[in-house]
Amino acid sequence: MLKVAIVGCGKIADEHAALIKRIPGSEIVGVCDREPLMGKQLADRFPVKRCYSDLQDLLSDSKPDVVHITTPPQSHFSLAKLCLESGSNVYVEKPFTVYEHEARTLIATANKKGLKITAGHDMQFCHAARRMRSIVQSGYLGEGPVHMDSYFCYPLGKSAYAGALLGDKKHWVRSLPGKLLQNIISHGIARIAEFMRSESPQVIVHGFTSPLLESLGETEIVDEVRVIIAAEDRTTAYFTFSSQMRPALHQFRIYGTKNGLILDQDQETVIRVPGEMMVSYLEKFVPPVKTAKQYLGNVGANLRKFLARDFHMKAGRNFLIEGFYDSITKGTEPPIPYREILLTAKIMDLIFGQLAPQSHSRPDSGEGMPLASSISNS
Amino acid sequence: MGDITKTSGTDFIIGATDPILITGATGFIGSRVVSALLNLGFTNLRCFARPSSRMDKLQSSSDRPDSSGVKIVMGNLLSREDCVSAAKDVAVIYHLAAGSGEKSIPDAFANSVVTTRNLLEAALRHNSLKRFVNISSFAVYSNRNKPGGRLLDETCPVEVRPEIRGDAYTFAKVKQDEIVEEYGRRFGIPHVTLRPGYVYGPGKLGITGRVGIGTFGIFLHLGGSNPIPVTYVDNCAEAIALAGLKPGVDGQVFNVVDDNLPSSRKLLRQYKQNVRHFRSLYVPHFLSYALSDLWERYSEWSHGQLPPAFNRARWHAVWKKTTFSNQKLKTQLGWSPRVSTQDGLQRYFEACRIRGVHA
Repeated sequence: MLKVAIVGCGKIADEHAALIKRIPGSEIVGVCDREPLMGKQLADRFPVKRCYSDLQDLLSDSKPDVVHITTPPQSHFSLAKLCLESGSNVYVEKPFTVYEHEARTLIATANKKGLKITAGHDMQFCHAARRMRSIVQSGYLGEGPVHMDSYFCYPLGKSAYAGALLGDKKHWVRSLPGKLLQNIISHGIARIAEFMRSESPQVIVHGFTSPLLESLGETEIVDEVRVIIAAEDRTTAYFTFSSQMRPALHQFRIYGTKNGLILDQDQETVIRVPGEMMVSYLEKFVPPVKTAKQYLGNVGANLRKFLARDFHMKAGRNFLIEGFYDSITKGTEPPIPYREILLTAKIMDLIFGQLAPQSHSRPDSGEGMPLASSISNS
Repeated sequence: MGDITKTSGTDFIIGATDPILITGATGFIGSRVVSALLNLGFTNLRCFARPSSRMDKLQSSSDRPDSSGVKIVMGNLLSREDCVSAAKDVAVIYHLAAGSGEKSIPDAFANSVVTTRNLLEAALRHNSLKRFVNISSFAVYSNRNKPGGRLLDETCPVEVRPEIRGDAYTFAKVKQDEIVEEYGRRFGIPHVTLRPGYVYGPGKLGITGRVGIGTFGIFLHLGGSNPIPVTYVDNCAEAIALAGLKPGVDGQVFNVVDDNLPSSRKLLRQYKQNVRHFRSLYVPHFLSYALSDLWERYSEWSHGQLPPAFNRARWHAVWKKTTFSNQKLKTQLGWSPRVSTQDGLQRYFEACRIRGVHA
C-alpha cells in the first residue's frame, strides 16, 4: 500500500484527495495545513485519520511514501525539499517552483536520494494530449517540429479567483515574480517544452496590462503576453496568454516538415493537418470534408470515453498521479521527464525576467514599443 | 424602514453609543442592517469591509444625517490581526460576511468558518462582547425525514453530512453554525443564530432556485405549489438587528420568513408578468425527485464524471413541499414584517425591470 500525504488543504487538495481515493493500492495517511480547521475539513470528508499543522510532524509520524504539495507556489521549494530529505517522493502542483534554480535543486535532491518528483502539469495528460503525443511519436510530423503555437488563456473578470485577486492587493499571487502569469501559464509553456530540443532557448516577450484591467485601476497585473521562443536548432514557438481574447483558447499547434497537428484542450480534439496540398480546386473542397470527418471521429472517441466513465474533467491529473505512483512502485521513469520540467521553469524565468521592468508601461505611452522586445537567453 | 421608532436603550442589552461591528456591511443584507441599526438609534457602528468591496450599497446609510458614527474598517477576516483590530471593545458583532459565491468547499469553508473562528477568537481576547449574531441560512436544514407539506421550524434537524448536498455554501454554513455553537459552549460567548429564507429585494439578481433553474435555454419550474420562504431584505435586516439587541435570547435560533408567503407558481407567474416573459416547463415533484435520484446514482457510479449537483438531499431541502413559520421570531424578538410580501415583490420586480435582470 502506497502511503500518501497532502500538504495544503485548499481547493486543489480536494481534487487530489478525490483522485487518490480512487487509485487502488494507495491510501491517504495524513493531511497537513498551517490552519488546523482547513486540515480538519479535508480529513473529515475523505476521511483521513491523521491531520497535522506542521509538515515535520506529518513526515515523522506518518512516514508517507508520497507527498502531494498543494500550497501556494512560494512554499513549494522549501516544502518539497523537506519532504525529499525526509525520504518521501513528491508531487508538486504547478508551478513547480518560483525559480528555475529551485527546480534544479529539487530534482538534484530527488536524484541523490533515489526518489521521484513530478510537477502538476496534468493537462499534458488529458485524453486529447495523449492522443496527440502518440501521433507525434508515430512520426506523423516528419522531421521536426519546425514550429509550435501554444495558446493558454484565462478569461479574467468572471471567476471568483479573478475577483479575489483583483480586489486584494495583498493576494499571494501578487508576490510571485510573474504574478498572475506564474500561477497559470506553466501548462501552456510545458506543451512547448515537451517538444523543444533545447536547453537554452532564446525568448522574446511582449506583455502589458489589458485595457479592461487598467480601467479597473489595476497597474501591477500583466494579463496579456505574447512570447517568441527560439531554440538553437531553429525550432521556434509562439506562446500566447490573454485574459481578453475570445474564445479563451487552450490550444496547441505543432508543425513538422511533413504535417501538422492541432490540439484543442477545451474540446478534447486532435486534428491532423496534412502537409500535402491537393491540386487546383480540390484543395477547396476535399480537405474541409476530411477535417469534418476528423471532428466527427473526435466526437465519437470522446463519447465512448464518456460512456465508459473515463471522461472526467480531471482525467489528465488522474493519469499523471497514477503514472507517478507507478514510477515509484515499479521503479520506472516518472511520467514527466525532468528535462521538460526544467525547460518549462527556465522559459518561465526568462519571461518574468523580461516582464518585471516593463509591467508599468503601456502600449500607447508614446515610447515606441517599450513593452516588447526584450530578448534574453541563458 | 423609515417608520421604525427609535427605542430607548433600556429595551436592549446595549446602549445607543456602544460599539457595534457589522461584517459584510457592504453587502445586500449588511448595508440594510446598518440602516436598521441607525433607525433604532445606534450611533457607533463599525462596518467591516474588504478592500475589494463596493461601497455603493453602504453609501445610502452613510449619507444619512445621523450617520456620523458609521465608520468603515478595511480588512480581511482571514487575518486574525484584522479581526482583533476590528473587534476591539465591541458590544455586539453582526456577522454577515460569508463565502456565498464560492463553488469549492475549501474556499467556502475558509471564507465562512475560518473567518468566523477568527472573529470569535478576537471577541474572546477583548472580552467586551455581549452578543455574537451569527447569520446562517435555511440551507442548513436537512428536511429529509418527514413527509411533504409539514412545518419546517427551528426545531428541525440540521444536515448531518452536508458534504453530500453537493453545495459548498450549505457545507460552510453548517460548519459555521457548529463553530459558533462550540465557542458558545466552551467559552461562554453569548450568541444568537438567524436563518433567513430567500432574501429578496431591489439589488437581488434573478429568481430563487427554490422556484426552478434555467438550463439549456429553458426554465425548469420545480417548485410547483410549494410556498417559497422569502423575506424582504428590509424585514430581514430588522430581524437581524433585533436579534443582536433583545435580552433573553442567547443561544436561540430564529428562522426569518415573511408573512403570506407566495407559492412557487404564483411567484414565477408574477415575475414573468412584471419583469419579462420566458419559457418555462413545469416538472412535477415525483419526476424531479426521480431525476435527482438518478443523477445522484450516476454521479456515484461514474466516480463524479458529472458532479452531484442534483441529489436527493438537495431535493428534500429545496424542492420538497414544506411550510414555514415566523412565530418564534415574532414572539421572542417582537419582530413583524413591515413591508408586506405584495409590496416587497412589487419593489423587487420594478428593480429587476429597471436593471433588465432576468432569471
